[in-house]
Amino acid sequence: MASRGRQWAPYAFIAPFYLLYGLFMVVPIGVACYLSLTEWVGLGTPTFIGFANFTDLARDTSFHTALGNSLIFVLVSLFLVVPAALLIAQLLNTRGLRARDLFRVTFFIPMVLSPIVIALLYSLLLDREYGLVNSVLRALFGWGGADWLGDPTLAKVSISFVLLWRWTGYLTIFFLAALQAVPRELYESAELDGAGTVRQFTTVTLPAIRPVTAFVVVTSFIGAAQLFDEPYLITGGGPGEATLTVAQFVYRAAFERQQFGYAAAAGLVLFAVVFGLSQLLNRLLRIGRTA
Amino acid sequence: MSATRARTRTPRPAPRRRRSIPGRIALYGTLTLLLVVFAAPLLWALSGSFKPRGDIFDYPPTLVPDPATTENYRNLLTGQPFWSWFAISVVTALIATTVAVLVCALAGFAFAKYRFAGKKLLFGVMFSSLSVPFAVILVPLFILVVKSGLANPWFALVVPWVAPAFGIFMMQQYIIQSIPDEILEAARLDGAGEFGIFLRVVLPLLRPSLGALAVWQFLQSYNSFLWPLVLISDVDQYTLPLGLNILFRAESRAFDLVLPGAVLASVPTIAVFLLLRKQLLEGLSAGAVKG
Repeated sequence: MASRGRQWAPYAFIAPFYLLYGLFMVVPIGVACYLSLTEWVGLGTPTFIGFANFTDLARDTSFHTALGNSLIFVLVSLFLVVPAALLIAQLLNTRGLRARDLFRVTFFIPMVLSPIVIALLYSLLLDREYGLVNSVLRALFGWGGADWLGDPTLAKVSISFVLLWRWTGYLTIFFLAALQAVPRELYESAELDGAGTVRQFTTVTLPAIRPVTAFVVVTSFIGAAQLFDEPYLITGGGPGEATLTVAQFVYRAAFERQQFGYAAAAGLVLFAVVFGLSQLLNRLLRIGRTA
Repeated sequence: MSATRARTRTPRPAPRRRRSIPGRIALYGTLTLLLVVFAAPLLWALSGSFKPRGDIFDYPPTLVPDPATTENYRNLLTGQPFWSWFAISVVTALIATTVAVLVCALAGFAFAKYRFAGKKLLFGVMFSSLSVPFAVILVPLFILVVKSGLANPWFALVVPWVAPAFGIFMMQQYIIQSIPDEILEAARLDGAGEFGIFLRVVLPLLRPSLGALAVWQFLQSYNSFLWPLVLISDVDQYTLPLGLNILFRAESRAFDLVLPGAVLASVPTIAVFLLLRKQLLEGLSAGAVKG
């Protein structure tokens, strides 16, 4: 009896997760596949139109722009945010550093704020006429007319800065924990071998923190690829479509233009790209193995 | 973590290279500059929320409002259904958090401490759900929820947050590290059932990491924007981020209302984070470091 209970217990324990997973993930993805083959304004019955939505997407310049913008934000997080987090973690890992906890906790705070709060803050700071950033620039350099949110390039820069501000402290936590777990002896023997700071970093630190780096890279990739809140709230995807991301494209198609089939198709394209690439990354970096 | 700290305390015969004085100055200078970059926008918003409307954009900016006024807060709390938005956000986040923590702890326990057929596959399926972008389920989930008549906020706002794979992964890692098999065996010899073991042995031992997961989950739900945005159309049922968003979009850009709102919205999350920062920061990174 006891052993039978033990046999079935794990299935009972994971059942709630798989039930929810099925209802709120697998079923919706199935529905998305069906919808993507139809044209539907939200009322009546969807009309089956085959793969027309996908061929339309392939020709839709807005969708291309959205893909390009999402790619930019992915590159920003992988090549700016992740290295910045590693660098800050490295600084925080200095031996005998005072007030480490103060720095670590303050850097993390943007992550606990609501995106709407962050959007408000940066809309205030970056306002063309009254914003603090331009006021300071005017006072220091006598020039402060940059249209941070209204110029296509500057808007991308501004959103990228907000991503940097919001995510760096969060990722730093992971790197710092990993760095603290590297046995000090490894550094000592590297130093005896005459390795300088840079050599120690590439030969000792990087290999030792590889699992965490892999985790951070994959989660940053997934997070950035489905970016919605910041550009929607700060620039509304603008000016024009300069900061329109794929997730915003999906939202706009479904909830502003009532093209539910088209939106589902765009969502599936994003899903295929993100899911495919992250499985590939997982395999390459070997994370998520069963213990 | 405690191991690292203990190690630094043990006397070392020859301390590794000591940082030079200029090196120290550069280190603390950089970290302090970063501290300002991360904290200044928040302090500025806090101070702005106590300034009369005309003073918010004053230059040079003053950190201490003069004259200080609480009128902005009074206007927000009397003129807007702020507490109703706040209540809906907090209650739905609490429900989602409770369900998620239980689901994750149960599943994490099963994956950490049982052997069963199909475990590897099931774990892989669970883990891969981390790389499903929300944008792909946004449209179909919205349609399913509306068509099945479940679009009331108490159910629908909770649903997307109750089965986070990240939480299961975190629980599984923590259980492997901190709960020895012997305790479970001893409980079985005492005649405890499998669920009884989970309830009376595992859950109490898990308390620190349950706290971490709960905080994390609460923040996710409390700060979520996209799902409530598509789901809730009735102003009376708005969540806090949606409420702040309409104030912000109002034609006059009511910064004098929006700033106190942002402060009030952030106080609970920052307070909870500061109270439980140790558990949260260490709980978040523990899984990734060992994984």
